[in-house]
Amino acid sequence: MADYRKMWTDLGMDLEKHDLLCEALPGAFGEVFLSQENRPEGMDYFNFVVAEIHGVRPAELVEHKKKGGKVFGTFCVYVPDEVIIAAGAIATGLCGGSQFWVPDGERVLPANTCPLIKASVGARLGRTCPFFRLADVYIGETTCDGKKKAWEILQQEVPVHVMDLPQMKRERDIAAWAGEVRLLMNRVEEVTGNRVTPETLAESIKQINHKRKALARLYNARKSSPVPISGRDALLVSQIAFYDDPARFSAQVNALCDELDERISKGEGVFPSDAPRIMVTGTPMAIPNWKLHHIIETCGAPVVVEETCTGVRYFENFVDESKVDLDGQVQALAERYMRINCACFTPNTGRIDDILRLVKEYKADGVIDCSLQFCTLYSTESHLVQQALKKAGIPVMHLETDYSEQDTGQIRTRVQAFLEMLRK
Amino acid sequence: MLPVGERINYDCYILFPNHHEGLRLHKELKAVGIKCTIAPPPRAATSFCGISLLVAEDLIEPARQVIDRCGVKIEGIARIPREASTSGGK
Ligand code: SF4
Ligand code: SF4
Repeated sequence: MADYRKMWTDLGMDLEKHDLLCEALPGAFGEVFLSQENRPEGMDYFNFVVAEIHGVRPAELVEHKKKGGKVFGTFCVYVPDEVIIAAGAIATGLCGGSQFWVPDGERVLPANTCPLIKASVGARLGRTCPFFRLADVYIGETTCDGKKKAWEILQQEVPVHVMDLPQMKRERDIAAWAGEVRLLMNRVEEVTGNRVTPETLAESIKQINHKRKALARLYNARKSSPVPISGRDALLVSQIAFYDDPARFSAQVNALCDELDERISKGEGVFPSDAPRIMVTGTPMAIPNWKLHHIIETCGAPVVVEETCTGVRYFENFVDESKVDLDGQVQALAERYMRINCACFTPNTGRIDDILRLVKEYKADGVIDCSLQFCTLYSTESHLVQQALKKAGIPVMHLETDYSEQDTGQIRTRVQAFLEMLRK
Repeated sequence: MLPVGERINYDCYILFPNHHEGLRLHKELKAVGIKCTIAPPPRAATSFCGISLLVAEDLIEPARQVIDRCGVKIEGIARIPREASTSGGK
């Protein structure tokens, strides 16, 4: 098979440890994805990306860097990729979704830190992820306390530019975020030596809107009954959106959607049309975290939508393309990004409105609200989420979990009981 | 565990020296309607990252003919019991 050892060695990776990660992937992928019946053929591209996840794309980034290009690593859907791309750089997501990286993170972080943070720090410190090695600068944000402190630790390894994200949504906060987008632009210009112009920014805004439209089309297909694609497959596509070349990714998502449209017109699906339709809401599921979706779907219920950052929060709302000067474009970016509803804001009633709207749009029969362990923000907000859903008569279940397999059996039992209730 | 007497199904994973050859064969097989899926090769077959093509056992002969006709370079074909190939041997 393809041998990327030289590239990994040049990137300063720990090859022995990395081999263990490579060994675990096929089994996990086979169990979650290849065991499904009647998967869309268009998923082949995404299978390819996963199989080659530490190969093809990192090799592209290496090529880009050889030509003097820069790579910026991001950890939150609030960071506008448009600005990075407009300076001729590449933006890549860096969120860690595997238990494999957690112990390396725990070497420097308290054990009661959310697994997303532990895995992300661990992926860097353990030298087992090429993307974490390739990024020239990490872009952090002041979202949750755990991340804020993690930047200070990562800063010892790699330059981190931290964006100060407001925690309220008043006019002045949107203006403040526009200021932060400007500061990011300055930093990106300084690192790349390229200027962001109204033309390059207009181009990247269009490109990322195009990607959002492709994802919106995919999610739209999931509104059909029977659902033409599993939640696991849709989640995989969303996760890959953070890493892949945006233009290639959008083309592949659109090709997949053509196939799904055909399935819809034939009334073909991957679950029976009377299976309970589940919406998942809560914290992001970074690749390769497929745990909850796998449990729900192997219990016989499709996940039809995610109100998460690896779901609708990533692609809903477009950036206004009509602005022709940098000030107008930066303002348009700030406005679009400030419409994301993350639990780090107070109040965050917009998220509850979104959840209630999405339940209707996707005809969800029940909602599973899932927070990563030790995420205070989402766990606390769960109280209001559950209250609103109950008031609207929508069945809801709250779960807290991490990346380990320890609680899989217990979660399966709870999910089964919830689905039983929905089937009655 | 399989009940006694039940036939074991096998999956065949076609292995490649690089992803270009794999993608080429993927295209050729699709063109003649042989069902195949891009997948990471199972642990039992190789320990490197990369792609393989998963083909059902009964389609492997026609797939071999395509490989010969197109001159795609492969590194072998691993035949793995279905349970083990999609459950990671857990
Ligand atoms: S949950 Fe909040 S902090 Fe995390 S990626 Fe989403 S917006 Fe950013
Ligand atoms: S899941 Fe919660 S604790 Fe973890 S990084 Fe996101 S906001 Fe922070």
